[in-house]
Amino acid sequence: MDENDDASIYYLDEHRALVQTVDIITPVVDDPYMYGQIAAANSLSDVFAMGGVVATAMNIVGFDSCHHPKSVLKEILEGGASKVKECGGVIVGGHTIQAPEMTYGLSVAGFVHPKKIYRNNTPRISDVLILTKPLGMGILTTAIKADMLEESVVEKVAHILAELNYKASQIMKSYDVSACTDVTGFGLFGHAFEMSFNRVSIVFDIKNIPILNEARAMADMGIIPAGAYTNKAYLSDKVEAKNPHKDEIILYDAQTSGGLLIAVSQDDAIKLVTHLRNEGLAYSTIIGEILPLGAKSLLYI
Amino acid sequence: MKIDCCGLACPEPVLQTKKALESLGEDAILEVLVDSIASKENVLRLAQNAGYEARSEEREGGKTIIAIIKGFTCNIASDTKADTFLDKTLFLKSDKVGEGELGAKLVVGFLKSTLELPKLPKRIVCVNTAVYLTTADEDSPVMQILKVFEAKGVEIYSCGVCLDFYGVSDKLKVGKIGNAYGTIEMLFGGEGTISL
Repeated sequence: MDENDDASIYYLDEHRALVQTVDIITPVVDDPYMYGQIAAANSLSDVFAMGGVVATAMNIVGFDSCHHPKSVLKEILEGGASKVKECGGVIVGGHTIQAPEMTYGLSVAGFVHPKKIYRNNTPRISDVLILTKPLGMGILTTAIKADMLEESVVEKVAHILAELNYKASQIMKSYDVSACTDVTGFGLFGHAFEMSFNRVSIVFDIKNIPILNEARAMADMGIIPAGAYTNKAYLSDKVEAKNPHKDEIILYDAQTSGGLLIAVSQDDAIKLVTHLRNEGLAYSTIIGEILPLGAKSLLYI
Repeated sequence: MKIDCCGLACPEPVLQTKKALESLGEDAILEVLVDSIASKENVLRLAQNAGYEARSEEREGGKTIIAIIKGFTCNIASDTKADTFLDKTLFLKSDKVGEGELGAKLVVGFLKSTLELPKLPKRIVCVNTAVYLTTADEDSPVMQILKVFEAKGVEIYSCGVCLDFYGVSDKLKVGKIGNAYGTIEMLFGGEGTISL
């Protein structure tokens, strides 16, 4: 068992280890099918971050039947099932309880080869970091709840949230990757700090970090959930900025179903980014580099 | 005016502050009481990005009061840019003001008079046929006026899609190419937009 990583690992034999993870979220969009897809993508992501494949998943549902008809539940589960199917897994059951607020997610079991597990804290000096999805999802889902975004923007955001990290995970296996994690509740910087593990420092080029313009606009208006400030306060003595940037807070924004943060050798970096983009992961970008440990764990220019 | 946003989670404090600011007249102060760092930072962000001066002061019990000053303040101007410019965007949707030949003359007259103002708008955004203005002949009156705006530090943006649509992208002689997002941000970002 390992405790510090994205999912739990249980060694079965020399060829297989069991990967397990569980996550649930409250609705981030109004459309139940889409919500199901997003919650599932969010739950499945930890398996992909470790380089695993999904075998089975179970639905975990808190259903508010006082405010929603049964048909809503059906759509949510269909949305979730579609995502499990997309990555070759099967839904084998689940459990539903009555709840005052709707929650949905999956308990997931997958497999990974014990020698091919991607850890979240083993990057090598001079590796570069690739991020596969844009930031700003915490800000944008807050704006969606407050009904501040146009329908077309909501659809764009929902589409990004529902995108599985499966393909990115499969693609990175062909390259010289040293560490990987998925960007979720601690924000980009929270997860990057975990990756640095007090052994290396990481420098980011803020203008290369993919951030949705709609998230920037909302952030400028002050639509930033408290989680971002909590994440920032936690890392306050770990981060150094060459020039403080107004978008810095977005680097702490908690992400639902965020992208993979991949440490890869310089030689393979461009090839990997090109491959990811060619497979439709259009936001994939090189955002930083691993340096020898300096005074601060994280820097941005 | 005072509002109490204690105990509220994002985005509620920002939405209430925004609403209160909209309901206030010029030369007024809005005080917002908050009790979390997130609310404080968000309300300050809103005020500052909307171009207002805002100050915060710690109060007992982890509370913060934020004073947002709407309208003219008596500060000693340290920022010369703020001194020369109104935080307003001039939004041009056509190469004319009104119809016909007179319309074409009026736009020149209007821009020329604007140049005489003690404070210039911060930006000029040209969309649709207004991109004919920024792509006009080098020695035309309107081009010469726009060049003066640019020399005085006014940011001029022409809509990229519009330049393409009218096939004049290669003729842009003043300012930069803007995109839809940038345009919207400018329209909503400043203190006001004037459209002809």
